[in-house]
Amino acid sequence: MNLTIKQQLSTPGGILKFLIKHNTIVIFVLLMIFSALISDVFFTQTNLSNLLKQVSGIGIISIGMLIVILTGGIDLSVGSLVALLAVTFALLINLVILPAAILLTIIMGFALGSVSGYLVAYQKMAPFIATLALMTIARGLGFIYAKGSPVTFETAGGAFMSDFANNATLGIPNIAIIFFIIVAMASVMLKYNVFGRLVIAMGSNEEASRLSGIKVNKYKFLVYAISGSLAAVAAIITASRTNLGSPNMGVSWELDAIAAVVIGGASLNGGKGTAINTLMGVLILGLIGNILNLLNVPSYPQQVVKGGIIILAVLFQKFEGKKQ
Amino acid sequence: MGNSESEYRLEMTGITKSFGVVSVLEGVNLKVKHGEIHALLGENGAGKSTLVKILSGVHQKDSGKVLLNGKEINPKNTHYGQLLGISVVYQELSLVNDLSVAENIYLHKLGASKFWMNWKKITKDAQELINSLGFEIDASAIVRDLSIVQKQVVEIAKALSEDTKVLILDEPTTVFDPNDAKKLFANLDRLKKGGMSIIYISHHLEEIFKIADTITVLKDGVDTGCVPKEDIDKDGVIRLMIGRELEDLFPVRDVTVSEKPVFEVKGLSGDDGFVKDVSFAVRAGEVLGIAGLGGSGRTEMAKLIFGADKKKSGTLTLNGKVITTRNPVDAVNQQIGFVSEDRKEEGVFLPLSIRKNISITSFKTISSKLGFINDEKENTNVNDLIAKLNIKTPSSEIDVKNLSGGNQQKVALAKWLSIDSKLIIIDEPTRGVDVGAKVEIYNLINEVAKKGVAVVVISSDMPEIMGIADRILVMHKGSIFGELPKDKFSEENILRYSIGEELKN
Repeated sequence: MNLTIKQQLSTPGGILKFLIKHNTIVIFVLLMIFSALISDVFFTQTNLSNLLKQVSGIGIISIGMLIVILTGGIDLSVGSLVALLAVTFALLINLVILPAAILLTIIMGFALGSVSGYLVAYQKMAPFIATLALMTIARGLGFIYAKGSPVTFETAGGAFMSDFANNATLGIPNIAIIFFIIVAMASVMLKYNVFGRLVIAMGSNEEASRLSGIKVNKYKFLVYAISGSLAAVAAIITASRTNLGSPNMGVSWELDAIAAVVIGGASLNGGKGTAINTLMGVLILGLIGNILNLLNVPSYPQQVVKGGIIILAVLFQKFEGKKQ
Repeated sequence: MGNSESEYRLEMTGITKSFGVVSVLEGVNLKVKHGEIHALLGENGAGKSTLVKILSGVHQKDSGKVLLNGKEINPKNTHYGQLLGISVVYQELSLVNDLSVAENIYLHKLGASKFWMNWKKITKDAQELINSLGFEIDASAIVRDLSIVQKQVVEIAKALSEDTKVLILDEPTTVFDPNDAKKLFANLDRLKKGGMSIIYISHHLEEIFKIADTITVLKDGVDTGCVPKEDIDKDGVIRLMIGRELEDLFPVRDVTVSEKPVFEVKGLSGDDGFVKDVSFAVRAGEVLGIAGLGGSGRTEMAKLIFGADKKKSGTLTLNGKVITTRNPVDAVNQQIGFVSEDRKEEGVFLPLSIRKNISITSFKTISSKLGFINDEKENTNVNDLIAKLNIKTPSSEIDVKNLSGGNQQKVALAKWLSIDSKLIIIDEPTRGVDVGAKVEIYNLINEVAKKGVAVVVISSDMPEIMGIADRILVMHKGSIFGELPKDKFSEENILRYSIGEELKN
């Protein structure tokens, strides 16, 4: 671990070991090459920027999911939260000025995540159950507030957001930039901040953390609140892309997010995973969808292929575990 | 009895067993006759449980022979052991809480039955079995709703539900009151007369002399021979259990202990009522030992002080100031450290590096207000401690799971030295640690105490606790039963207090 990359590569079998250790990146690069070979449109700017726009929403909630999974928990509510918060944002944007609408939506995301956090941390509810309940509640509330149909943006603020979400800076879609900034922030927090250190410590041994004087409950609460806040950011960009907030948004996004985190090599038992690898996981999932679209594969076979890739990725990681 | 060819029902000869580098049994012999109650005695860690687990098939022996009715057997798993008629009642209850009494008793048969279960018959048989033991328990009750005594009875009934030829009981009476114990003894006597061989493990010498026919004492993984009860008395047994020279493992205690207490506990009781009214003081420079048998409440008491379990009452005073420890966060803020006996589950983070393990308590000093960790400060602190504790590792980035037990234990200690703890409670400081690292840990404890830190050491290892402590408190059934000053240190005295007996003059 304290060897440099160069040293790792020069030890016998080092290249293989290196490749296995960084298997997520390897899979990603192989997929890129494969895609470029089979389709001439793949490496066009339109296609790549479409790909990035498509993955940004799920990508942002995947980062929240990663932080929750690092503690050994899970957050099934994020997909429904995206729907509820997108509707909330659309309603707010028609009522108050834009900055207030953004701020209030994020605060509401934090509050909704806090509900899961409270149930898990202080009521000792199983994360799966607590967030499953919140998932149903949020989806239902979304439909109630939207009165069953999408809420469209009708103000100048809405037009600004829609403009922002569909444009690019220096060739990179603005919403992808937001996604990348969140990945960078999470990466820094997990690596260099006490918060990240504690989240990983809790995931690798909760009782030892408690007996080291760590406020385990507080941090458990916080990770769900953060996941909720990130769901709000995902909701804002998703709604802005289409100029409306719909209660049908984000269906099964939580599963895609979990898949991305797992493909990124994180352990569902907690304590293992990085933001960069989760980014890779998100991109791999997006790439698969993109290639299959370019090959005109219909959506049902696509699901089958996606599932297969998840199994392969996890098997690959098991192989890595055994090697070590 | 009559149809047997061999004199002994069970003969275990030259049994050895080690776990990794730790050798637990080093050539143990145990011979049990038909229709006898054979007591198996020994200190904590002498190897009694391991021996029993080899017999029942939980563990496999490394070498040696086990003969049942003169035929060699080799139980590969517990099922096989049961088929041979060997049943064990373990100390830690092995019942399934959500099933009924009857289901638990016949659990091992449920899978072997034909497609349909005959619940009526199972319940009826179970009820008859329990009634025959003279206890009143409804066979259709759910085990969760039973008292601990009733659970123990169900456990015994379960062991008898087979065609049991060898019954092994590991401390069966710890939860019993004298009346229940009497009932159990009457049952054992009846079973013995029916030809059953019973191996009875207990720390209660009174009991042993009441019911056993023969006694075998284990000491450090070897047996000290098999003695008929008539040929030995209680003192003789205690001598056999001890009989060893203190090795030259321990540092010289050349500290002058001041009169002033650094840390004081008054009237400490746990919320669950197990630990009752514990009071003691630790003086500056002193190493206070806490002895007692497993299950006497030592760890529970430590966890109460540390705030890991809920207190009912009690006052803690540290350096003259009354403190409250509602949870470990409070305790750590007061600079109290606790090294758990369960190193892997509670002490260290196995998948994390040494650096991350040690730093877990000291973020206040190594990070900025916003929580960003200062690499330089962190590495200096960690590397200092690695050097000071002589943790053998090529780098601070090695994962703790790759270290030896002794070095893992040093890591567990290091995190408390990292925050300059004022009180450190160390539960079983050297469990699963090799001799070399043991000496280093003892020296370390000595050094820490010299600096005026109050050190409380809980240990089941009697030579260890006598070697490093200045004073020993002995716990029994959740309370402090007696206190031994240095001139009264002896394994015999500790053992006497541990089993609730007064000292002999």
